[in-house]
Amino acid sequence: MKIHGSHALPAGAARAYNLLQDPEVLASCMPGCEKLVKVADGTYEMKMKMVLAAVSGQFDGKVRITDPDPPHSFKLVVEGTGRIGFMKGEGLLRITPGGEQCTVQYDGDVHVGGTIAAVGQRLIDSTSKLMIKRFFDKLCERAAAASAP
Amino acid sequence: MATTITKLDTLVGRKIKRKEDPRLITGTATYVDDIQMPGMYHACIVRSPHAAAHIRGIETKAALELPGVVAVYTGADVKDVGPVPCGASLPGLRVPHHHILAQDRVYYVGHPVAVVVARDRYIARDAVDLIEVDFDPTDAVADPEKALAEGAPAVHPQWPDNIAFNYHQENGEVDKVFAEAEVVVKQRITSQRLIPCSMETRGVVADYRSGEKALTIYSSSQIPHLMRSLVAGMLGIPENKLRVVAPEVGGGFGCKLNVYAEEALMGFIAIRTGKPVKWIESRREHMQATIHGRGHVDYYEIAARRDGVITGIKLKLIQDLGSYHQLLTPVIPTLSVLMMPGLYRCKTVRADIVGVFTNCVPTDAYRGAGRPEATHGIERMVDILAAELKMDPVEIRLKNFIHSDEFPYATGTGLMYDSGDYTKPLKTALEMANYNELRAEQTKARAAGRYMGIGLSTYGEICAIGPSPATPAGGWESATVRVEPSGTVTVLTGIKPQGQGEETTFSQIAADELGVGFDDVVVMHGDTSVVQYGIGTFGSRATAIGGTAMYLAIQELKTKIKRFGAMLLDSDDVSYANGRCTCNKSGKSVSLAEIAGAAHRAMKLPANTEPGLVASNFWEPPNFTFPFGAHIVVTEIDKDTGAIEIRRYIAVDDCGKVINPLIVAGQVQGGVVQGLGQALYEHGIYDDSGQLLTGEFMDYAIPKASMSPNIEMASTETPTPVNPLRVKGVGEAATIGCSPAVVNSVVDALSPLGVRHLDMPLTSEKIWKVLQGGRA
Repeated sequence: MKIHGSHALPAGAARAYNLLQDPEVLASCMPGCEKLVKVADGTYEMKMKMVLAAVSGQFDGKVRITDPDPPHSFKLVVEGTGRIGFMKGEGLLRITPGGEQCTVQYDGDVHVGGTIAAVGQRLIDSTSKLMIKRFFDKLCERAAAASAP
Repeated sequence: MATTITKLDTLVGRKIKRKEDPRLITGTATYVDDIQMPGMYHACIVRSPHAAAHIRGIETKAALELPGVVAVYTGADVKDVGPVPCGASLPGLRVPHHHILAQDRVYYVGHPVAVVVARDRYIARDAVDLIEVDFDPTDAVADPEKALAEGAPAVHPQWPDNIAFNYHQENGEVDKVFAEAEVVVKQRITSQRLIPCSMETRGVVADYRSGEKALTIYSSSQIPHLMRSLVAGMLGIPENKLRVVAPEVGGGFGCKLNVYAEEALMGFIAIRTGKPVKWIESRREHMQATIHGRGHVDYYEIAARRDGVITGIKLKLIQDLGSYHQLLTPVIPTLSVLMMPGLYRCKTVRADIVGVFTNCVPTDAYRGAGRPEATHGIERMVDILAAELKMDPVEIRLKNFIHSDEFPYATGTGLMYDSGDYTKPLKTALEMANYNELRAEQTKARAAGRYMGIGLSTYGEICAIGPSPATPAGGWESATVRVEPSGTVTVLTGIKPQGQGEETTFSQIAADELGVGFDDVVVMHGDTSVVQYGIGTFGSRATAIGGTAMYLAIQELKTKIKRFGAMLLDSDDVSYANGRCTCNKSGKSVSLAEIAGAAHRAMKLPANTEPGLVASNFWEPPNFTFPFGAHIVVTEIDKDTGAIEIRRYIAVDDCGKVINPLIVAGQVQGGVVQGLGQALYEHGIYDDSGQLLTGEFMDYAIPKASMSPNIEMASTETPTPVNPLRVKGVGEAATIGCSPAVVNSVVDALSPLGVRHLDMPLTSEKIWKVLQGGRA
């Protein structure tokens, strides 16, 4: 499944880039994220709970950041497995500066398998859009809070 | 005691309610899951979530530590169990070794990887979640045409082209006919993957008695005897130490015409643990791990004269086999080739099948097995040709039908059609539909901007499968008929009904032949320790072949009955009718019960006659039978939503002599609804990575009662010369006739928009897109 879109952030490009790499920030913004720990440079271990209609379960996974080009872009590689299946995703995030603000563009490809694919297919598209929206909404809050005087 | 009342009416040909139904509708039938045994274990299977992956390791410790878990077995434990059998023997067929549990790789989503054995089903299921399989996913391919493309991932690394077999059949001067043809029409036609969805999923109970070294397997199966032979081979135990029982079977539709990994796996567990074990397939498992049906991409070309006479047929058939061969996987598309000329005279044919491996669950027999695909193809092509020539679809069919005086008719594909009068059901259907008025109404509807369609299919099919040389494991059938000492009649048949109602139809035949009451006949089936070897129920064969075996056994039995009757009446001139043996001179008579008592007490025996009243017959049919029919469907399409309304459904089926019109009607109704499922709703979809996207009933739409039209039914009767009962078979007929009639109707409705063909399923979304000017 292809996902793409963009979201405005109330932060300059450099700060937005840093926020997007801060495990604590990411963990607090990702819906269902229970744990995100940096294990190596650009590599994080993640635990998150996924709810998709009647199917819910925990995913253990890895998040990797590759091809960093601060403060313009980086690549995000996410892999997770759990009892309800597995997910693999890869996406390019590009930050376009706009003074006090910036725009984050994302473009990626997500694969899911196992029970979530077989049972939740109808909902994957809308659920992932919802999750992305929630993530950016939270991130905006964090960005705004941090920049508030 | 048996009834000794003289019967006045015969039962054959009458609407008799099914004997089976009271137990089925009151929940008192015994299915596999109803079997309980002391100390029985329960098994649950760990299945692959990946379509293609290496297995780097399996961690079972946490599962084994769960209280109540008895054992966990993985591929390493069962590597000496024989492979899941493939019964096909096409030249050059590539057969991958199909272990009952994956060894170092998995090949489809749902591939069994390990099995948990526990004290109860819930613990077994919980323990499945505690097993960690370290998969290393690799690239998968799920679409047969993509699998044939250069550089596609190899399903089996040893065969990088993904081709399991090529099959070629040809008759006549095909190239010349096409070169000289006045018209050639071409179309790519798909017959999508379908998931069988029997109401009862699969299930197995295995019970091993170590003292006797005897294993009993209860399985929801259409072929208990073949299963016994094959599973005994897989487990390396003597065939006569294995008993297979198929109790009540809650629908099969072909998906239980198979031997799966789970039967041998449960046998293995029962032998290993010394305890009985039960496995019941969940619905989600059923959808991903039981065979699917169809899976064709067909490229058709038809050559014809301008007057509509078909002169040549070419077919390139791409069969999605899935990752392995189940029992008959590669055989199914060859049935399509046999049936490709349909009811038409054209003998110049060429077919090329390419059987393709994909990272999907195997395809195999599903109601009609190869014939629905072929019929859909030829019936769509005939309509496409008619549209090209601006002919009425009725006219073009009448022009090409084999004439009733040409039977037996040798087809270009090597079949010998037994008997037929193809205009008869078509004319009946046209009269029922009031065809000319419908066309007039359609003209008005079109003028008013409405989309009304009239579609028909005139189908034929191969039933009574089949003569043994044409089947992988014998195509005969067996029966033993006993008159018990009290005069009741027991029939042991080698067939295995799953809803077809042979306990009723066989009772009708036996009651008529022996002159006993309908309720005095008990028909037993499905237990290899009770019934002599038989083949099973599939391919609309049970009554035509199994019924004939019973009929012939009864004829032999009647000779013996008369010998005992003559002895008791002290006469050498007796006749047997209505359950009594009568001396033709004195008019004195004795009942069957009296004769049966005398035959079993055996105080005195007729010359050269053994005690008892029993006879067996193993009947080898000389040919298939070829039923046929005509279906007409009237549709109207909602311009705003694309929803298809089936305004009328007319089904006229000719299945030879009708034993029980109520059962024929039931088979036609069910068959039509199953055909509608393919035509309008059902599609087993895998994504490009081999994930099954239709894994439950929210995503896989099967027709419900509210989606089923009223079906106007009629029968014509053209008896077959192939068997003495004159019956052909009807189990699959209506499914075969349905889908082309529906699609022809919808294409007809949309033809003012220039629509020439649409692939199934015709969902509202697909039709809506067509109406919006996009292509489907």
